[in-house]
Amino acid sequence: MNLILEKQALQDLLQSWRQNYDVYLPQKLERFSHFMPLTETSVLVTDEPHNTRIPPKSLFLPMTEALVKFTRYGGYEDARHEIQPRIVFGIRPCDAQAVQLLDTSFIQDEYTDPLWLERREKTITIGLGCHEPCLNGFCTTVGYGPFNKADLDAILTDMGDVYLVETFSQAGDACFQGLPVAAEETYQEALAVQHSAHDQMPVAFETENLKEKLEQNFKNNYWDEVSQSCLGCGVCTFLCPTCFCFDIVDETQRRERVRNWDSCMFRTYSLEASGHNPRPSRVERTRQRISHKFVYWLDQVNQIGCTGCGRCVRYCPVGLDIRSMLRQAHSLPFEVSHAI
Amino acid sequence: MPDLNAIRTEAKRLLAEGVVDVVVAFKAGETPLHPQPAFFRSADEVDQLVYDGLCQNNLATFLTRVPKQSKVGMVVRGCENRSVNALVVEKQKNRADLFLIGVPCEGILDWQKIVGEVGETVKSVKENGQNLMIETKAGYQLLERHDFLHESCKRCIHPNPMSADILIGEALQEGDPNLARTAVETFEDQTIEDRYAWFQKEAERCIRCYACRQACPMCYCEECFVDHIEPRWSESGATPAGMQGWHIVRAFHQTGRCTSCGACERACPMDIKMTYLTEKLNHDMREKYNFEPGLDAQTQPPFAAVTLDDKNRFSV
Repeated sequence: MNLILEKQALQDLLQSWRQNYDVYLPQKLERFSHFMPLTETSVLVTDEPHNTRIPPKSLFLPMTEALVKFTRYGGYEDARHEIQPRIVFGIRPCDAQAVQLLDTSFIQDEYTDPLWLERREKTITIGLGCHEPCLNGFCTTVGYGPFNKADLDAILTDMGDVYLVETFSQAGDACFQGLPVAAEETYQEALAVQHSAHDQMPVAFETENLKEKLEQNFKNNYWDEVSQSCLGCGVCTFLCPTCFCFDIVDETQRRERVRNWDSCMFRTYSLEASGHNPRPSRVERTRQRISHKFVYWLDQVNQIGCTGCGRCVRYCPVGLDIRSMLRQAHSLPFEVSHAI
Repeated sequence: MPDLNAIRTEAKRLLAEGVVDVVVAFKAGETPLHPQPAFFRSADEVDQLVYDGLCQNNLATFLTRVPKQSKVGMVVRGCENRSVNALVVEKQKNRADLFLIGVPCEGILDWQKIVGEVGETVKSVKENGQNLMIETKAGYQLLERHDFLHESCKRCIHPNPMSADILIGEALQEGDPNLARTAVETFEDQTIEDRYAWFQKEAERCIRCYACRQACPMCYCEECFVDHIEPRWSESGATPAGMQGWHIVRAFHQTGRCTSCGACERACPMDIKMTYLTEKLNHDMREKYNFEPGLDAQTQPPFAAVTLDDKNRFSV
């Protein structure tokens, strides 16, 4: 359904959702915006020309969470809290797409992660399209876009005084029940806004044969070059909406088994009990980060594991830019493989 | 701003004459706001070398990451020179294997402050004395340079490299030592409850990405205390105890070693203030031991120095 929402009416609508849902939306925190629970006094941030700093993956995979609480004499109990039904409002298409990509890892028949699944099932996602695409993002290059609709129950298009609301599910319909239906003309105008946003985004790098080039040049000096100035911190991976690695630790003093975000850029990530580390330096770690997104995701689910949100570009402390790294990769030698 | 051509000429000479194996400096990034640390290994690469107020990293952090035997040239500002000195004191590099191209520093610009003021579409940034001329999609905008400095640079005492092998550009006036206390004073002037609330608010925004540690030239431990598993010395997660523990112990490990460069705060993706802690330790070092880290390449930090006639018994 295509509906019209007056911008003035948005605040009341958000507040009305609070009766039945925990509502999360981007709000100001220090110099950036962050998904936080809606309160009576919350101020929604929609005018930032870029994304929230921490991706909303943290609403589904928290930075730290207790899985099990140990009791005396070798027993343990479930440490999970029950989750209330939620609405995540203002999620950008790249981040929503990322959550859908992460489903392929966390929801796999007998290997389904119950915590992830519960949060996903209890969450309605309402997107806000990017009518003025951000400069660090490159969503169209990796096959998505500023109005990508994957995994959204509804998406809003900013049209000045009003939003055009497109709903894609019953849950989405229910959220916007009672709003006037948009005239065909208005819908066409909204599509024009969406297409223009899409067209404004330059091609950041070529993706044709990129996978083969990266794969076939596993030992190329290219990796030494692009990793030289890497500090080895976790900014790119922790702020990445599709990075999902975690580490399970027994916090013995708290008597808890916890799950923390982990990063392939850390020295301890692939450190084995023997002391051997198969990825001993930043060279191998950088190769892993890039290859996971542009080779291994493709092998596993035939999708690029990067949604082009641009956070790693914007916040890398040494200005490393995945777009120029992959442009450089374009000139790597490769042979077309002919599958028999 | 020091003459870029003079820096390049010197870097080229060092490489061409084989004085050094590599020159560590900056090169242009994808946008004018993000120059990158770069490693130049031959004279003909040096034309890519850049230097401006947006070069936000402390290059000395790379000193412990190049092969120990290699001879290294480095473009250093005041803080980088002090970090290099502190690393030489800690025997991480022989001073004889280093050639420091010194540039007096007018302070590092905060790109986030700039885009906050002029918007995202920055095409070029020209620095002219006390002014910044920013070119955006909307046109040109003239800004006061000082307003866009990082806080740590606003209170810098020593903008000049003190022991560079060559100084490019005119030495600047030393900063006001009283300014160095400003970060500490704002913190200390509060009640104990407010101080704890401040500390909690800052520390608990942490995501444990360790960008502060990785950006810091003095954090070169092979294994950081937070990475130690058996026994575990700190809580691993993004919990209040874990985050507070990290911030307080990280600061303590810098006692008598922190050169006030502010690279930790510049690297932090969560805008966490950290230098109020290290500046307090630096202040105590100055007050109680008359010591400032990195002023020379010989003097041991008070907490690392051991003498046989020490009046106090060494105890743990």
